[in-house]
Amino acid sequence: MKKSLLDIPPGMKAYVSDITSVSAVLRRRLIDLGIMEGAEISIKRKLPFGGPLAVEANGQWIGIRRWEAGKIEVEV
Amino acid sequence: MIQVALAGNPNTGKTSLFNNLTGSYEYVGNWAGVTVEKKVGTLKQVPGLLIDLPGIYSLNPVSRDEGVATQYLLSEKFSAILNIVDASQLERNLYLTVQLLEFEKPLLIGLNMIDVARNRGIQIDYEQLSALLGVPIQPIVARTGDGCSRLPLMLQQSSEQSAVLFRLDYGSILEQGINRLTELLPTHTNLPSKRWIALQFFEENPIVTDLLSGFVNREQLLDLRQETERLVQEKTGARSLHQYIRQVRGSFISDIVKRSVRVTKQATYTMTEQVDRIVTNKFLGIPVFLLFMFLVFQFTFDWAGTPLSDLLDAFFTGPLAGFFEQMLTLAGTSGFIEALILEGILPGVGGVLVFVPQIFILFLIISFIEDSGYMARVAMVMDRMMEGVGLNGKAFIPMIIGFGCNVPGIMAARTIEQPKERLITTLLTPLMSCSARLTVYSLFAGALFQTHQALVVLSLYVIGIVVALLLAHLFSTYLFKQESSIFLVELPPYRLPQWKTLLRSTWEKGKGFIKKAGTFIFGGSVVIWLLGYTGPSGLHVDINNSFLAAIGGLIAPWLTPLGFGTWQAGAALLTGFFAKEVVVTTMNILYAPSAAETLQGAVANVYTPLQAYSFMAFLLLYVPCFATLATIRKEAASARWTWFTVGYALFIAYLVALVIYQGGRLMGFE
Repeated sequence: MKKSLLDIPPGMKAYVSDITSVSAVLRRRLIDLGIMEGAEISIKRKLPFGGPLAVEANGQWIGIRRWEAGKIEVEV
Repeated sequence: MIQVALAGNPNTGKTSLFNNLTGSYEYVGNWAGVTVEKKVGTLKQVPGLLIDLPGIYSLNPVSRDEGVATQYLLSEKFSAILNIVDASQLERNLYLTVQLLEFEKPLLIGLNMIDVARNRGIQIDYEQLSALLGVPIQPIVARTGDGCSRLPLMLQQSSEQSAVLFRLDYGSILEQGINRLTELLPTHTNLPSKRWIALQFFEENPIVTDLLSGFVNREQLLDLRQETERLVQEKTGARSLHQYIRQVRGSFISDIVKRSVRVTKQATYTMTEQVDRIVTNKFLGIPVFLLFMFLVFQFTFDWAGTPLSDLLDAFFTGPLAGFFEQMLTLAGTSGFIEALILEGILPGVGGVLVFVPQIFILFLIISFIEDSGYMARVAMVMDRMMEGVGLNGKAFIPMIIGFGCNVPGIMAARTIEQPKERLITTLLTPLMSCSARLTVYSLFAGALFQTHQALVVLSLYVIGIVVALLLAHLFSTYLFKQESSIFLVELPPYRLPQWKTLLRSTWEKGKGFIKKAGTFIFGGSVVIWLLGYTGPSGLHVDINNSFLAAIGGLIAPWLTPLGFGTWQAGAALLTGFFAKEVVVTTMNILYAPSAAETLQGAVANVYTPLQAYSFMAFLLLYVPCFATLATIRKEAASARWTWFTVGYALFIAYLVALVIYQGGRLMGFE
């Protein structure tokens, strides 16, 4: 079954398997940061009220929205 | 003379290095997007210019500030590129380096933050890395200046040499596409490296695509791209051409990193994790931010700022005025000059200068937020709320900077990727209460709300934010068609700001205020005083029969429902269009304090607290100052939106002040 970033518990490491469903502009940004297929990724924090996630990928921390994180597919 | 372009990823210390090499004091901070426009400085050791470009991840721009950098490389003449690379984020930074190498201009790498990298257990073999990339590398620490002194000479050497040939093999299909495209390009033009142009075009770089359309038929171009993409997809299984090119570069980079870097320990971000646990906490995040803002105001007003400015006020109205009076009497000047200085310039300029302590404390705290790394967290914490009004968390950064001055705030909106959100943020940042407005609040709050000064002023800031958010919702729902919004913010590790950097950036922000006092406000004082001194019946008229009274009287009736329908208030608000501090200047000249009073005392006799509050709210929201409007005009590139800003601001200001005054009266206040 396909897993999105939201399906893995915070702190657990996973690998990006597909980012094609992410919106075009955000995908460009993710690729700029080297967050693409094969990159290691984990959730650091979740902000309240459905707010953004702090994500660690490639040794850097970024903030992205929760529903968009749901479009990043990962493999554990 | 050499001309060097300084390029690198966001938040890698380009501006720190720029300041170091040119002896300038440009704006630095710990968040991505501090520099949004190119800046030019003169190199210290060798004859030449250094151009600081906005931070970019790639030469293929997403947001407007990134476009500035690519556009520069394409259209300006320069002799070399100084690429600043963050040693602690080597792989990501080298991605830009590869594109710069492909540009085929002499390149020098300044490997920055080697101290941070070392602490994280990253050991880089500089010589090996330099050999693999084929360009010289100088390890530096831009924040302290270590290693930077060798750069100018190295730059001079690089500028005299021709660029090294750098060629990545992109595989037969793409190489074929590149060849086909370069054959389409004319030979005579002064285009940069054709190979670079071809690659950027295949990556769908919008600026390069536009440029190419000038030479080659657009249809033909797009056909070529589509065909190449299809072939690449079939052969390699890549999802898109952009991604394929990224992969080729990526594997080249991982390979050289593997051969030149040794990681001796796993990085830990203990301090950052612990601080984040609190400031981005589920329950505490927003309260912590609000508490922080409240403390800012307590500190700016009750604890430190106001006591200091009271001392200054007493000094200006007491010893300084006395000194001037004596000097003027000694010099035997005419009554006219004496009145101009003692009743015009001194209260006009002095009345604004007394607020220097508050303004500098506020700037110090804004500098702290910028330099510590908290700014990006605020964007995170606020994103949910901002999403609700059709913006994203990053729009909060221009607003916070706008608290200092709206002009850099509006400029900071450039880092917002989405054009609609950028425009709305540009139009609404003027509602943020800037430090110039602070002088007016300080005057009134000090005079009429002595017990709850910080709270009263904080409430005005909150009104500004709330109105901005409501309007954002309104604008994004009705004025613009809904485009998908994106949010991605880099969260840099926290660092404790250095005192030197803090004080320097505080001074950089605050010096404009002092400069304005010497120019704009000085001139304004003379003009306002003259308008009050002269009238239709001649010189030295009663102030109520002066030209100023006549002008202010024109709009006074309109202000009556708001509680301040006097010609004095009308005249003060009119002058506030030039700069909001001038309102204080005008008031001080109009309500000229007698010798026994301080400036604030005079105002307390004329306004009730309710009237004063209504006046402050009106002043907060009405027409942005001239400099801000000019910036909106430039950033929105539209006279229509500039006028729109004037219109909506006046309307909202009137509405809010009306509700406050009439509502307050209904509730039994005076």
